[in-house]
Amino acid sequence: MTNEEKIAMLEDVLELDGGTLKPETELSSIEEYDSMAKLSLIVMMDDEFGKKLTGEQIFKFKTVKDILDFME
Amino acid sequence: MDFTGKTIVLAGAGGIGAATAELLASLGARMILLDVVEEKMKEVLSTLEGEGHTCYVCDFSVVESIEPLLAQIIKEQGPVDGYVHTTGIGAVRPLKMSKYDFMLRVMNINFFSFVEVVRCLTKKGSFNAGMNIVGISAVGAFIGNSTKTAYCASKSAMNSAVRCLAKELAPKGIRLNTVAPGATDTPMAKEATDYRDGTDEQKINAMRQYLGTCQPEDIADAVAFLLSDLSRMVTGTCMPVDGGKLTS
Ligand SMILES: NC(=O)c1ccc[n+]([C@@H]2O[C@H](COP(=O)([O-])OP(=O)(O)OC[C@H]3O[C@@H](n4cnc5c(N)ncnc54)[C@H](O)[C@@H]3O)[C@@H](O)[C@H]2O)c1
Repeated sequence: MTNEEKIAMLEDVLELDGGTLKPETELSSIEEYDSMAKLSLIVMMDDEFGKKLTGEQIFKFKTVKDILDFME
Repeated sequence: MDFTGKTIVLAGAGGIGAATAELLASLGARMILLDVVEEKMKEVLSTLEGEGHTCYVCDFSVVESIEPLLAQIIKEQGPVDGYVHTTGIGAVRPLKMSKYDFMLRVMNINFFSFVEVVRCLTKKGSFNAGMNIVGISAVGAFIGNSTKTAYCASKSAMNSAVRCLAKELAPKGIRLNTVAPGATDTPMAKEATDYRDGTDEQKINAMRQYLGTCQPEDIADAVAFLLSDLSRMVTGTCMPVDGGKLTS
């Protein structure tokens, strides 16, 4: 999966307009990145990537790139 | 309370199931455990007082597999005196990701399997006189919880089913009730909260349960009461064990 595809997936999960996110975007600057978005992220990682994302790991994500790297 | 000579089937060897099995065994019951994870059951069995306890592996998400398994259990172990359903998954999901297959999985494990076990164990020859059934519901059955639609619906469904089944099975001398735990100190509760640690939502939730977090033993005590003759006039109802949460 390309970075563009992953970003599109993330934008979809966070209900953001296409093209809003860049790898270097700070997560703290995204208003929509709230507890519901974090839960959506956990579910997406499980459903789409078969990966278990813990609450602890989520708190370590600082930028969009950190999430993209986890999607590997 | 004395369960000497009673055989009790208990599904779910997790935090609440383990504490309940330990209490019932210490009061004389012979326990038959059901869970999808064999190691968990073996671990619980190794802690139980008394003789003759046993376990069977089963996956409650495959509801059709329950009837043949219970037929085998009754054949091997004889008719039973009680059933406790602690099996459950504490699934949290936003609505947009709660597709039918997810909803169905939660309902199968938390609810349809409960009704199926009750259906099979209340057939002639499967139970002894005075059989009692307890399902573990949740305070979520009564409270609106964002992202817990499937879970809360499954727990409400269990409470409704118990109201109906209690009436239907009363002529057979069978009682059914549920226990609705508030937040209880088990791995499931830990999993459910960790992505929201420290959020206002979590703090408010914790504050409402003003007696503090329940221990699995608190839930086990209520189950034992409902299985015993001390509760002989209690049926078709739900007993919250919630540190005050529902009324605060
Ligand atoms: N812990 C809480 O805060 C809390 C609060 C309210 C209600 N409850 C309810 O209490 C019950 C027990 O909860 P717990 O905290 O002990 O949870 P737990 O996760 O420790 O135990 C649940 C058990 O169910 C088993 N299980 C899961 N899926 C299964 C399947 N497909 N087939 C067979 N077995 C399966 C698991 O292996 C586990 O042993 C659950 O029904 C839960 O909804 C718990």
